[in-house]
Amino acid sequence: MSQTNRIAKGLIDTSRTVDFTFNGRAMQGHAGDTLASALLANGQLLVGRSFKYHRPRGIFTAGSEEPNALVHLRDGARQEPNTRATVAELYDGLTATSQNHRGSLEHDLMAVTDLMSPFLSAGFYYKTFMWPRAFWEKLYEPAIRASAGLGRLSMEDDPDTYDKGYLHCDLLVIGAGPAGLSAALAGGRSGARVILADEDFRMGGRLNAETLAVDDMPGSAWTEAALAELRAMPNVRLMTRTTIYGAYDHGVYGALERVTDHLPDPGVKPRQVLWRIYSRRAVLAAGATERPIAFGNNDRPGIMLAGAVRTYVNRYGVTPGQTMAVFTNNDDGWRTAADLAAKGVDVRAIVDTRDRAAVCDVPGARHIRGAAVMDTVGRKALKSITLTDGQVIPCDALAVSGGWNPTVHLTCHQRGKPEWNEAIDAFVPGAHLPAGMVVAGAANGQLTLAAALDEGRKAANAQLKDLGFTPSRKPGPKAEDEPREGAPVWYVPESRKRAWLDLQNDVTVKDIKQAHRENFRSVEHMKRYTTLGMATDQGKTSNIPALAIMAKCTGKSIPETGTTIFRPPYTPVPIGALAGRARGRDFRPYRLTPSHEWAKANGATFVEVGNWLRAQWFVRPGEKGWRDSVDREALQTRQTVGICDVTTLGKIEIQGRDAAAFLNKVYANGFAKLPVGRIRYGIMLREDGICYDDGTTARMGENHFVMTTTTANAVLVFRRMEFARQCLWPDMDVHLISTTDGWAQFAVAGPKSRDLLRKVVDKEHDISNDAFPFMACGEVTVCGGTPARLFRISFSGELAFEVAVPARYGNDMMRVLMEAGREFDAVPYGTEALGVMRIEKGHAAGNELDGRTTAHNLGLGRMVSAAKDCIGKTLSQRPELQRDDAVKLVGFRPVDRSRNLIAGSHFISQGRDAVMANDEGWMSSVAWSPSLGHSIGLGFIRSGDARMGEVVRAVSPVHDTEMQVEITSPHFIDPQGERLRA
Amino acid sequence: MPEFTLTAAPPLAGYDRDFGAVTLKAPEHLAIVSIALPLGGEDAAKKAIKAAFGVNLPEVGRSDVAKDKSAALMRLSSDQAFALFPCETPDAERQIAAKLDGAAYTTDQSDVWCALEISGTGARAALERICMIDLHPDAFALNAIARTVMEHLGVIIARTGDNTYLLLSASSSAQSFLHALETSIENTQ
Repeated sequence: MSQTNRIAKGLIDTSRTVDFTFNGRAMQGHAGDTLASALLANGQLLVGRSFKYHRPRGIFTAGSEEPNALVHLRDGARQEPNTRATVAELYDGLTATSQNHRGSLEHDLMAVTDLMSPFLSAGFYYKTFMWPRAFWEKLYEPAIRASAGLGRLSMEDDPDTYDKGYLHCDLLVIGAGPAGLSAALAGGRSGARVILADEDFRMGGRLNAETLAVDDMPGSAWTEAALAELRAMPNVRLMTRTTIYGAYDHGVYGALERVTDHLPDPGVKPRQVLWRIYSRRAVLAAGATERPIAFGNNDRPGIMLAGAVRTYVNRYGVTPGQTMAVFTNNDDGWRTAADLAAKGVDVRAIVDTRDRAAVCDVPGARHIRGAAVMDTVGRKALKSITLTDGQVIPCDALAVSGGWNPTVHLTCHQRGKPEWNEAIDAFVPGAHLPAGMVVAGAANGQLTLAAALDEGRKAANAQLKDLGFTPSRKPGPKAEDEPREGAPVWYVPESRKRAWLDLQNDVTVKDIKQAHRENFRSVEHMKRYTTLGMATDQGKTSNIPALAIMAKCTGKSIPETGTTIFRPPYTPVPIGALAGRARGRDFRPYRLTPSHEWAKANGATFVEVGNWLRAQWFVRPGEKGWRDSVDREALQTRQTVGICDVTTLGKIEIQGRDAAAFLNKVYANGFAKLPVGRIRYGIMLREDGICYDDGTTARMGENHFVMTTTTANAVLVFRRMEFARQCLWPDMDVHLISTTDGWAQFAVAGPKSRDLLRKVVDKEHDISNDAFPFMACGEVTVCGGTPARLFRISFSGELAFEVAVPARYGNDMMRVLMEAGREFDAVPYGTEALGVMRIEKGHAAGNELDGRTTAHNLGLGRMVSAAKDCIGKTLSQRPELQRDDAVKLVGFRPVDRSRNLIAGSHFISQGRDAVMANDEGWMSSVAWSPSLGHSIGLGFIRSGDARMGEVVRAVSPVHDTEMQVEITSPHFIDPQGERLRA
Repeated sequence: MPEFTLTAAPPLAGYDRDFGAVTLKAPEHLAIVSIALPLGGEDAAKKAIKAAFGVNLPEVGRSDVAKDKSAALMRLSSDQAFALFPCETPDAERQIAAKLDGAAYTTDQSDVWCALEISGTGARAALERICMIDLHPDAFALNAIARTVMEHLGVIIARTGDNTYLLLSASSSAQSFLHALETSIENTQ
């Protein structure tokens, strides 16, 4: 197929021919074409099928507002559905296919739905598929979904990468049409940092689409000169192919930059970048969107907006048809006829709804005054139009202009309401704009060229002055205001056939009238009932005509009828771009323990603990499952010595003259009198009295403490203490800093732990039980002088230490500890064995400190010191939290020792039904104890501490099981604590 | 001789990569010591800092280099600063504590952080992809520092040259931080 509709050079590069295919047919266009302009050049007017009725559809606009010409772009994994042909830049090798049809585009089997349209009117699925009820999910919905829809996904992983970024500027100019260019020039000349963003790949907006002159040169030439000046300014950043899609708080704007979408080979660089732009001020110069007039069969291929026709003619050198007609209610439509005629296209008629003289001379065209188009003929391409006076005019394309709507979307993103402007019969931005934004040009209702240029410059200058810049004295560009008068005509009431409003969601004038009859009259109800404006184009060309029709039905004015709310994004943003680079392993950062490399080389299986990767267990040859490894690690630790990397626990250094007094306030138990060189276990309460973290704090010096927190709460505890220090007690001399990552800390636990450490800790440090008893701490050196910290604490219940070295030595320290421990049969253990041993010992952990439990529940009530105040103390004393029959932390074991307990089971007394009303508590942690040879658990049960030996039911409705369990002490191993003091 | 000795292996040790318009490297043996000014003892602490480094404690959000160029000071908040200096041995905190002679509280932060220095004409463009603060020379002057977040990671950024920035982030997530920077550089080269 040759480019039969190519009529002139336009602004494209005709010296570069570009090959592409549409539905497998080879075609040619030129560099600078869009897919739409190239399809039109090749005479391809039919490009897709509509969403609901599978009506043949063509190209309707020349921009991002396109409702009709949606195609699959590219193929294979890169296939992207719903791509607007009007914004897809043509490149060599582009492949596009039409979508939403069964069989070929020309012979769509689903077009039968069009014949059923009387049954498929607005809200049909709310009424039609009501019974039998069960059929909805299984039959109706799948069938409807299969026949409707807008294109198909490739179902393969997206091979492209995406990125995001942050930009800053004094002045953000949104849109590079006449007003935007004028504003950017003003900004750039003043020295301000300017970002000029435009969704098009060629800046200039309507200046490239019209033949109007600026500074006595063609608008496109003036654009080039303006861009050359802007490019030379180091303070100006020009961003083409960049859509500002949302206006957010404090001058922040969202922008999507399409970086490689126009390249034959997208390469490995990010396809799109999602920018967050921090602007001090913004000029919205988003232009205006032309609106159609609704009339019978106004959706045929070949019918398009008049301004779009001018874009194709002037910018792309393409005419949509060989014999054209124009239907307009305003002066602007006349220029389409004039521009077509000037390029030698046969313009048969200009149908003006107004009974008035010609706006300009259009050679060869009939001027039909006070008439309208009421019907059209031509299923797959327009053949003729029928006027209200019965005339039939043969033509293969029709340009329609119903006036222009300022593109106010971004002004509404923070609930701003547009206001009706009778002079142009359109909504213009209201008074309530996003902070820092002003609107200029067509977006502000200044629909003529000279006015737009002038307002862009003035708006920018006002913003710049506010920011303290001196606006340039250079005069603005000179241009004339073109005729722009129009009459408010929204649809042609004489039309007998369906008159389409929302071309993407197949909503007609009749549907709006039906919504009115059925009392869905508010614009929000109308929108949802008819689905008008709910497609990917968000009704950019259909909303206002629909409002006008609803207004007429209700007898109200259009402003009284109001608009629906515009929300971000202005145009669709791919999920891939929103995700950016956060994919796969790099979805979020990960943290490695200092001994990670050693663990990896020694058979560790890792588990995610927050962002940390921790060794869960270490597999040894012959072990068939994780239990084998975990049982061995726990048993061997209790028998000889085990080593575990516990670096992930939070470490907070607390310094200052008031450090002890500060700790006394943030911990529930007393810390003021903790001697130097000693450690104390402590619990912290939230303000509401709930226990939220526990840990140990070591007094390293008079004014120096080292606190450990749970891994999960390391940041939370730090944050809360920082709040306490800065806001609650700013008069205390207390300083906090995290050293979690700075020290590699290892638990060395088991009866042989001291023997092992004696080989590592330098000899001058006495770590005998007398010199370094349970809960001692101190600074030592290891391995010949490396500074270290030693803590005599035990989570396992065994004789145990924790030794910390600067993190850089962590990996090697693990090696050294294992080598030193070889003679004692030392074993590395992971988090799973750690968990088993702490359950055996009855220590509470995250499962027990679940945000609902108090010290009273945990059996630690006496730790909430009566002698002093602390955060949370008052509210922890509420009677309900102090009840005698409150749940208490106790141990559980199965009566049938061969059974495994289930965490999450609920406790029910014997003889009672397993219902909520009889629920007495829950099992919080379970483990198989290799030391005891059976399953054990920790849990909370009402008055648990007074029910030792009682057997209750442990019921798990989720697992559909229950078993008899005996209440025991939570301390299954060494309840007297003799081992850890050994 | 002790039976065992320990070898240091900082997470990004030896990393140095030239991307063309950007160079990314992990400074070797960078010691970091935090200095907290005691409440009510600020003047004495500042005096001690001046005596130790030959320069005044910088304003919050600024850094300065010691008179003899042996160290840099970063003022992170009204009562907190970092001293950065080359030091191979794990006794950095003791060295600073000795210099300040009890006038301020110190902790060793050397192993808490990993450091990456990004430099070159493309450095700012690369940082635009992950750094939300404004690094324009007018907004982030030479010797400016800021605490911010990059790719969910807390970061201290310092402008140490016309096109050179020193970045500090948690050492445990050093690999993720490196990946974030490498990706940003590769995406903008």
